Amino acid sequence: MMKKNLTLIILGIVCLVFPLVVRSDYYQHLAIIAFIWVVVGSSWNLLAGYTGQVSFGHAIFFGIGAYTAGIFATKLGISAWWGMMFGGIVAMLIGLFVGWVCFRLRGPYFALGTLAGGEVFRLIATNWESLTDGMVGILIIQSFRSKLPYYYIALLLAFACVYAIHLIMKSKWGYYFVSIRENQDAAESLGINTLLYKNVSLLVSSFFTGMAGAFYMNYMAFIDPEVVFSLHYISIMAILVGIVGGVGTIMGPAVGAFIMVGVQETFRSSFFGLAPGWISQGHAMAFGLLVVFVIMFLANGVVGDWSKIKRYVFRIKPSSVS
Amino acid sequence: MDVLIQTLVAGVLIGGIYCLIGIGMSLIMGVMGIINLAHGQLMMVAMYITFVLSSYMHVDPYFSLIVAMPALFLLGCFLQKYLLNPLMKVDSILPENQVLMTVGIGMVIAEICRFIFTSDYKTVKTSYGGEAFFIGNISFNVPMCIAFIFAVVITLILFWFLAKTDTGRSIRATAQDKEAATLMGVNSTRITIITFGLGSALVASAGSLLIPIFYLFPDIGGPFTLKAFVICILGGLGSTAGAIFGGLTLGLAESLGATYIGMGYKEMVGFVIFIIALVFLPGGLVGIKRLIKS
Amino acid sequence: MRVLKILMVFLLSVTLCFTFGVSSSMAADSVKVGIVLPLTGAQAKFGEVEKLSFDLALEEINAAGGINGKKLELLIEDDTGRPDVGRSVVEKLITKDKVVLIGGGYSSSVTYAVAGVCQQNAMPFLVNTGSADKITTSGWDWIYRLNPPVSHYADAVESLLVQVIKPKTVAILYENSLFGTKGASSFEKTCKRLGIKVLLKQGYEHGGIDYKPVLTQIKRHNPDIIYMVSYIMDASLLMKQSREMKLTPKMFVGGAAGFTLPEFVDNAGKASDKVISATLWHQVLPFPGAMDYYNKFVAKYNRPTEYHGAEAYAACYVIADVLKRTKSFKNTDIKKALSETDMMTVFGPVKFITWGKMKNQNKAATYVVQWIDGKLEMVWPEESKTKTFNYPVDWLKVWGY
Repeated sequence: MMKKNLTLIILGIVCLVFPLVVRSDYYQHLAIIAFIWVVVGSSWNLLAGYTGQVSFGHAIFFGIGAYTAGIFATKLGISAWWGMMFGGIVAMLIGLFVGWVCFRLRGPYFALGTLAGGEVFRLIATNWESLTDGMVGILIIQSFRSKLPYYYIALLLAFACVYAIHLIMKSKWGYYFVSIRENQDAAESLGINTLLYKNVSLLVSSFFTGMAGAFYMNYMAFIDPEVVFSLHYISIMAILVGIVGGVGTIMGPAVGAFIMVGVQETFRSSFFGLAPGWISQGHAMAFGLLVVFVIMFLANGVVGDWSKIKRYVFRIKPSSVS
Repeated sequence: MDVLIQTLVAGVLIGGIYCLIGIGMSLIMGVMGIINLAHGQLMMVAMYITFVLSSYMHVDPYFSLIVAMPALFLLGCFLQKYLLNPLMKVDSILPENQVLMTVGIGMVIAEICRFIFTSDYKTVKTSYGGEAFFIGNISFNVPMCIAFIFAVVITLILFWFLAKTDTGRSIRATAQDKEAATLMGVNSTRITIITFGLGSALVASAGSLLIPIFYLFPDIGGPFTLKAFVICILGGLGSTAGAIFGGLTLGLAESLGATYIGMGYKEMVGFVIFIIALVFLPGGLVGIKRLIKS
Repeated sequence: MRVLKILMVFLLSVTLCFTFGVSSSMAADSVKVGIVLPLTGAQAKFGEVEKLSFDLALEEINAAGGINGKKLELLIEDDTGRPDVGRSVVEKLITKDKVVLIGGGYSSSVTYAVAGVCQQNAMPFLVNTGSADKITTSGWDWIYRLNPPVSHYADAVESLLVQVIKPKTVAILYENSLFGTKGASSFEKTCKRLGIKVLLKQGYEHGGIDYKPVLTQIKRHNPDIIYMVSYIMDASLLMKQSREMKLTPKMFVGGAAGFTLPEFVDNAGKASDKVISATLWHQVLPFPGAMDYYNKFVAKYNRPTEYHGAEAYAACYVIADVLKRTKSFKNTDIKKALSETDMMTVFGPVKFITWGKMKNQNKAATYVVQWIDGKLEMVWPEESKTKTFNYPVDWLKVWGY
């Protein structure tokens, strides 16, 4: 117990102090991106890992959040930062709609429905030019020149998201979610209003993802439909983050986020310049192999199957309860 | 009037190819309950095989069907046997492991092809590539017509196989009720392997037929996988007859949408139909038939 | 064990601190310029032609003494055709690699996004291909552009239309990216000005298989000319399918990009013949070194080059000239040197002025080319032509019917 808290405290201190020690914009950027994925991955995990509704369309909420912030800035003339608050709310409202359409579907059908939903929203954003400027995208001027404020805002958002999920899972809601995941019909017959709680899970999940999207708009200062509603780069990435880190765990997606961003950048920069240039295209392959490997051998992710990793990689036998 | 007929013709012809893509996925979904998100990438592999045969050995794409289909059959069997079947035994929280595994497989396959062939657009040029014949004012693209004919023939062979051969009937039995089939002596492991192989071979044929009309690059798979879903849902999972209906419907819907709503909305038509079908027709065409019967 | 976890966390942080300190190998005697191009992705073909041109120019510049004795180093980074990647890559070039100037910029969307970053970071950016007007009409003073904006691409086409073809109606098809959308709307405005009626204007998402539905509609409307703005593969498919449909307007007009690449004639075959396109350059133009550049490129890389390559090659020389003239490598001095540019390149004269609503925009002429017997010939304006403009065209005959 104490050891667990100690790890978290040290982690927290490292995160707080990181940008002051590592002054390179480049690494701060990577950390910010990782924090965004902590939020999106954890949100996805709440809906999929804990409640069993595997969404392939989290890009919907991310994109809605991003566009809310962007439209505020370009069409309404308000600062995009307001978009962060409203982005989450608008994403929740869309989430309700998505839930209404998709929750009647089970398992893989839900996955497909959300996947199609993501693509529909992308096409809407592309074609509704009067609102979104279509493929031209939305470009704003960043509020801060330095990355520090962005870093701390992202850190705060990531912390808030993970902590909120932690609290939720410790509460009765958490039990309801897991029971829905394990056996929806049994849960229903026990008197749990599965539809209600699936929606609650979805609302929390979409809220944080929407906020992450709005933050993305503020930080990257440029979005277009292909970037924020992307099936491949947002929806599937969220799933990978969750799976590699560990579905159904609190810290799993956070770990997954850093692993995935790390792997991606390592490859894109050709192992930071140490490897031959052609390897920079290898990150997609690395992702694919990682997914195959994790699903085969570490189905519960790095965090979930940590004991397995300890056993096989570090050769530490499970001697006592840790 | 001409516009309408031309649109319908275009829709039906492309629908033929869509059917082949959809039937493959429908079989896999029906028998194993797996959503094969690598379906498009399997098609891509077949297209690259066709491309290589065409460029280096000057084999006509339609003849490369003879090579591409068995090759993909073997690849499909391999994937199912070594990567997907073992998953059934893995204990994990998430039931959608198999689906996610196919995502990983798809990515790896696409990247391997990208590594070998680069991201360049490849085309296969045939003498009849851009040819068309006319009936009245309506233009019929020759490769697409040939593709349509092949699609019909392959589908008929498939139906015969499923209806008349032992293996075929075992597949249908496993699709209906895996446990009952096993009790009746069907080796369900073997059947799942064969089915995945069969589904892959079917989508391979679609790829070989498509390449004279379109072009090829490593990312071509994604959109086609999505189309395959729409087709399957429209027709009802596991129903090969339904997949035909789904394929033609999608082809026609896209074509009509492109003409009358606008080309930018073409893709959207497919997805909207998909969502409507998912929500209101969870059983697809087969479901409607059942509803009508009862 | 938890201790292990703590240890790993520490190790991670320490590693990060160290790697940040390791900067990429840097010869003290070189001047670093960052170049952003799509080396992979849908626009890789264009990026490739530009990269090879940059390489060619770089070799020559360094062989001739570089930048006042120092070597010119180009850090060419891949934006993969996506604006967000472009932004990240440019940020890296600016903050980590500490380049003194940014060049390149192919796709309008990526260029626009990258320009935003450069403007914010007060980093001079010499755009050589991204053509959306917005890039130089946004009042960004750190952004300089060598190539003309897309609204002027069709200038030469305009005079050809007015003087020779004299169409009354037009149908416009475009890929719905920033480039296509802007190209199409500029041409629409031009048509309105010339009194040409726009019968149909439709955008499409790239990667389409079947354009027959929209081509059928166009056939029904029967316009005098069809104007298309597309990147590579769509251009070939559009022409191939037009041929299949026996769609025969007076002329097919391409809005540059996909219509001038050798891949167009490779893939469209017969269907590409006699199609005309706007272009920004041709090797026969009387600019010193233009034909030389063309021949050197073909000799070295065994493939033809066209206006994109020329833009890159010329840009490299402009960059070298600017860096030679600049008082120091501080951004304000480089900016001043850019503003004072007044030189001749293979692409034509380069001088960055303010005209129309644009700032720091080079005023370059445009031309019209036509595919004749598989070769791209210059047909307009009359003074520069290599072959006479083939018109009127019996399309059915050309297409082999």
